[in-house]
Amino acid sequence: MKKIRDFINKADIKRFRFWLQLFFFVIFIYGGYFAINLGNSIPVFSCGYDREVGGMCYFLPLQHQLARPLDVLFSVASISVLIGFVTFLLWFIVFNKAWCGYACPLGTMQDWLTGLRKKLGIRYSTYTQPQFNKLKKIKYIMLAIVILSPIAVGMGLLGGEWRTAFCQICPGRMITPLFVGDVSQWSLDFSTKSAMILTSIGLVFTGLFVVGSFIKKRFFCFFCPMSAMHYIFSDAALLKLKKDGDKCTKCGDCYNVCDMQIKDIADDVESTNILRDDCIMCLKCVAACPEDDALHVDLVNYPIFKSTKGGFVKRMEIEELEKKND
Amino acid sequence: MTKRSEHKIETPKEKQNRHKAMEAITILEKIKHEFKEPPKAMEYFYDLYERVHCKHEAIHTDKVKVGTMCIQVPSEIVYALDAVPIRLCNGFYTDDEIGSDLLPSKSCPLVKATVGLFASDNFSDKPDVIVSPTTCDQKAKSGAIIEDMGYSIFDMEFPRTKESEESREYWRRSVRKFTKELSNDLGKKISKKALRESIKKVGLAQHLYHKLNILRKNENSPILGLDMFLVTNAFFFDKIDEWTTAVDALVKECEQRVKDEFNAAHKRSPRIVYTGSPPIFPNLKIPLIIEQSDAIIVADETCSSNRMFNDMVSVDEWFVNDMIDGVADRYLKGCTCPIFTKNDDRKRRILDLVRDYKADGVVYQAFAGCQVYEMEQRSVLEAMEKEGIPIIYLESDYSPSHLGQLTTRIEAFVESLKNRRRKK
Repeated sequence: MKKIRDFINKADIKRFRFWLQLFFFVIFIYGGYFAINLGNSIPVFSCGYDREVGGMCYFLPLQHQLARPLDVLFSVASISVLIGFVTFLLWFIVFNKAWCGYACPLGTMQDWLTGLRKKLGIRYSTYTQPQFNKLKKIKYIMLAIVILSPIAVGMGLLGGEWRTAFCQICPGRMITPLFVGDVSQWSLDFSTKSAMILTSIGLVFTGLFVVGSFIKKRFFCFFCPMSAMHYIFSDAALLKLKKDGDKCTKCGDCYNVCDMQIKDIADDVESTNILRDDCIMCLKCVAACPEDDALHVDLVNYPIFKSTKGGFVKRMEIEELEKKND
Repeated sequence: MTKRSEHKIETPKEKQNRHKAMEAITILEKIKHEFKEPPKAMEYFYDLYERVHCKHEAIHTDKVKVGTMCIQVPSEIVYALDAVPIRLCNGFYTDDEIGSDLLPSKSCPLVKATVGLFASDNFSDKPDVIVSPTTCDQKAKSGAIIEDMGYSIFDMEFPRTKESEESREYWRRSVRKFTKELSNDLGKKISKKALRESIKKVGLAQHLYHKLNILRKNENSPILGLDMFLVTNAFFFDKIDEWTTAVDALVKECEQRVKDEFNAAHKRSPRIVYTGSPPIFPNLKIPLIIEQSDAIIVADETCSSNRMFNDMVSVDEWFVNDMIDGVADRYLKGCTCPIFTKNDDRKRRILDLVRDYKADGVVYQAFAGCQVYEMEQRSVLEAMEKEGIPIIYLESDYSPSHLGQLTTRIEAFVESLKNRRRKK
């Protein structure tokens, strides 16, 4: 048991993550080819516009459901809406935000772009703290669009093209289908004025997505409404990112490696639950922490992956150096 | 007629060296012989101190020496530029007396000794470049005094707060500037490979220190606090590879000692966490009294030991600039120096050490004249009392006087800890 634990704590999390991400990418993007269908309440951006999708992003069905006329929405007929939501919650609650760091195809694409940048020897950029504090609010605005715009359609305040307003501006809609050779989403919709505006914004966001995530690690996640939605329910999740403030020396290693620039991970020594709304639970912080037990990932209060001195020196290739010297 | 032997009068430098050799050998002999047999691997360190401080031997002959006035000068960067860092914080009373003429009488003895060594210009390893981080007032100002003596000094700007984002940026910039200037000075460009390797090399030294240190958590601590201070102090000036090899051997020996349940002190010796002004060889006065009084130091929170090794660098992408930023953070964010505005981190660290190393009490020592440590004393005492941890506050300097009074107080403290233990 101790051996297994030691093995996990010393694991090369980067490689583990790469393969797991690839696995989920194939499942979600190409699942259709293998007749895989995990339903349509998946808490990541596995886009429903991809005709081979192996499990659909919850936002597409959610928006359609919310666009019903109000009296229908609040009637027994909407029991299916509730079922969809509960399914979403059940999926989410198991893995918490690790969905973002390990399963989201859009996140994986960004990591690949990061990999490309690294290969080219270009440095990443970061936000300054004030920029960070302002920008991080955008994802809640996005979430408001996801929920309010279809409801407004249902109430008759907006035209039908606003039904899936968020999908129209989401870069996932244009990029994901490309992986199955579908370029049909790459066009502007000139049918109505607002459709034209929405698809134009979509095109701009897609451009930003590609350029942004090349320069900045996980650029889009910062604005992702799914991330905001996750955070609302994250307290109930089974998988948790925890911190023992007494063990923390505030050295900032975790903050240094954090793709999302979450400062609390290093500076907050009071909270035990250290998951923040931007977190993608990639667990790079746990892997980069040099203190025993300061950061750990718990599944229902049982630590499954902990920061250890041994793991740190292994991952930093210091252990290798030590063996060579002997 | 018999030939008259030539009579030579001792020069002031020779006299200084003789006095320092006496200081050094006195403490070394005590550590070697007054306690249970030290680990065999300690021989390397005893010998090293004798070579450097008694025989005045130079250790580094082939590389550019970068003298550092405080702990915050990133050694990773110095090594990456193929130079060696030598920490100049000095523990000799002989030098302290020389420095007393140049600084106000109520100055910190460490600073006086350092300035004194510069004034006498009597180094065994004379630094080629001197870097002075602007940490405490006395160190920052003494940089200018040393500069007036004709040395070239690089003032490395260091922030006095560490919580804010501004301070992080400021310090990162300062480290970048330092890297650039040093690399210009030495006519060397810093390469990705060299920096990565030096981060790992320093990392290995830290790792081995931790491995050794953790053994002291055992009920039977295999090594004296005094020996530990010698080991960590040697990191100030020794060749890093040789230091690493020696510590590696020491770790193995101590691991064996733990298996054999060997206790460097005695079964009932109270366990002490040492905090405050740094004990620097040969000023190991207080640790010596503590361990002579049948207590054992199992952990410390000082910049001549634990703090030097504590925080290791982690880097996400191995580009030169990212590595430099990562290195910079290590020296600011994790630092528990009392020069910072707040000291919550320091209190947390001491409390954690007490819990982790199952200590019975804390000894807080401040150099008379080290204002920041003196000022923090109250708040640390309060934090310890809140947790019910016995703590004693001592003020001392480098002079051999007051030994009686210090010994009485420490012995009484240790005795009270023993009583407490018995009652438990």
